Amino acid sequence: MNSLKSHAALILALVSILVSIFLFRLFNNVLQQYQQNILNNYSIVIVSEKELGRIDIKEIDKVEKIDISGQINHMKRKFKNLNLDSIKMPYFYRLRLKTLPSPNKLNEIEETLKSYPYIKRVLTYRSSQTKIYNLLMLLKITSNLFMVIIAVLGFLLIIKQLEVWKLQHNERMYIMELFGAPFWFRGAALFKIALIDSVIALLLTLSLIWYVQNSIMYKTVLNDLSITLNMNLQKEFLILLVVSLSISLVSSIVVVIGRNR
Amino acid sequence: MGVLVEASNLYVGYKKEPVIKNANFKIYTKDFVFLTGVSGSGKTTIIKSLYGEVPVLNGSLNVGGIELNRVKKSKLSYLRKYLGVVFQDYKLIPEWTILKNVMLPMLIAGIDKKTAENEAIKLLNKVKLSHKLDKYPAELSGGEQQRAAIARAIIHDPVMILADEPISGLDEYSANLVMELFIMANREKDITIMIASHSLPQTFNINYRQIHLEKGQVYELS
Repeated sequence: MNSLKSHAALILALVSILVSIFLFRLFNNVLQQYQQNILNNYSIVIVSEKELGRIDIKEIDKVEKIDISGQINHMKRKFKNLNLDSIKMPYFYRLRLKTLPSPNKLNEIEETLKSYPYIKRVLTYRSSQTKIYNLLMLLKITSNLFMVIIAVLGFLLIIKQLEVWKLQHNERMYIMELFGAPFWFRGAALFKIALIDSVIALLLTLSLIWYVQNSIMYKTVLNDLSITLNMNLQKEFLILLVVSLSISLVSSIVVVIGRNR
Repeated sequence: MGVLVEASNLYVGYKKEPVIKNANFKIYTKDFVFLTGVSGSGKTTIIKSLYGEVPVLNGSLNVGGIELNRVKKSKLSYLRKYLGVVFQDYKLIPEWTILKNVMLPMLIAGIDKKTAENEAIKLLNKVKLSHKLDKYPAELSGGEQQRAAIARAIIHDPVMILADEPISGLDEYSANLVMELFIMANREKDITIMIASHSLPQTFNINYRQIHLEKGQVYELS
């Protein structure tokens, strides 16, 4: 019963750490994708007196010329008494950005653009962009904080488990040491437990991930947000495997090294 | 007979506080030595210093060619593989069966499990515990546990057995049986024996030497 409790404590701690790591990576990926979606639909519009090839602002990814011939034809039809051909029309451009800018950054970009004498107007749609940006940041910070709390709790559980292990294995390791047992021999039982528990924890985490990923709610949310996840599940599996094995093996090594003399 | 242990101007103790002061003694191969003295005279400290659990504070303590003053941990592990240690409280691993406990030194030495098992069964037969192979230490009496501990101490043919009060607390029958096992190890396997005991056994059919401890001083008696 005690042994079962001891296994369960380590497995629970490992699962919470692995889940928090996976969720951290998943949330970041989702937010990144969502950010990209917003970015694809966002642009700054400028009105320039002269034709532009490129603009030397590092945040700007692309400068696209807006074709206004349709609007001019429409106006020509509507206002037949106006001779629009005699008016020199300005050039309209759509500026695509590399990343979703913060309100401050957006301000900077706007100021820089306005400093060019030939740029007459800059439309940043600041208010809606700021709302979206702040909402995303809030989501990111909250989710990251939540993951960190779960991970810290997991680590606290592992520290508690180290104390239990010390009590459970101290006598045996001491006796082995008296007969000249090497490090690996003294820790063999612990290493075995650590290995088995980390594999069990990994399998439980993967089952949880599989369940969540196949849940209708999860699929619907991603679908509604038009997000296609860009995660390499094999890579994620390897990361979790390495983390799980490292934590449990390092913990067992700490117990063997720190045996009370 | 060659010198197996040599102590010169030896100071040993805990936290820089010497329990044994300026000790000089020698133990030879195939010796049978009783380390006597009243409680608190430092018998356990001497035994523990011989397998490196209590540090040498000053002087020299050479065991089997290894100088224990400032010995490296790896060297200590190497030395311990050639020693057998028997404790008053047996120190058997509680979650292991008696058979596995006895196999321990052979497993540490890297001998394969089957050979170690066969050797342990033979020895447990000799110490009259063949019917308790699969029992756990808690299921055995004190005398039986001590016999198992001696079997563990001799299974790997050590150069020397260090026994700390191995018969205290045992009934007369068990105590005699335990002493016979030490004599057998000394006679049949030429193992040097050092037994810490507050008194000498009443009847004892072997030539032995006595090292006596009094107030931290060591006296070699014939």
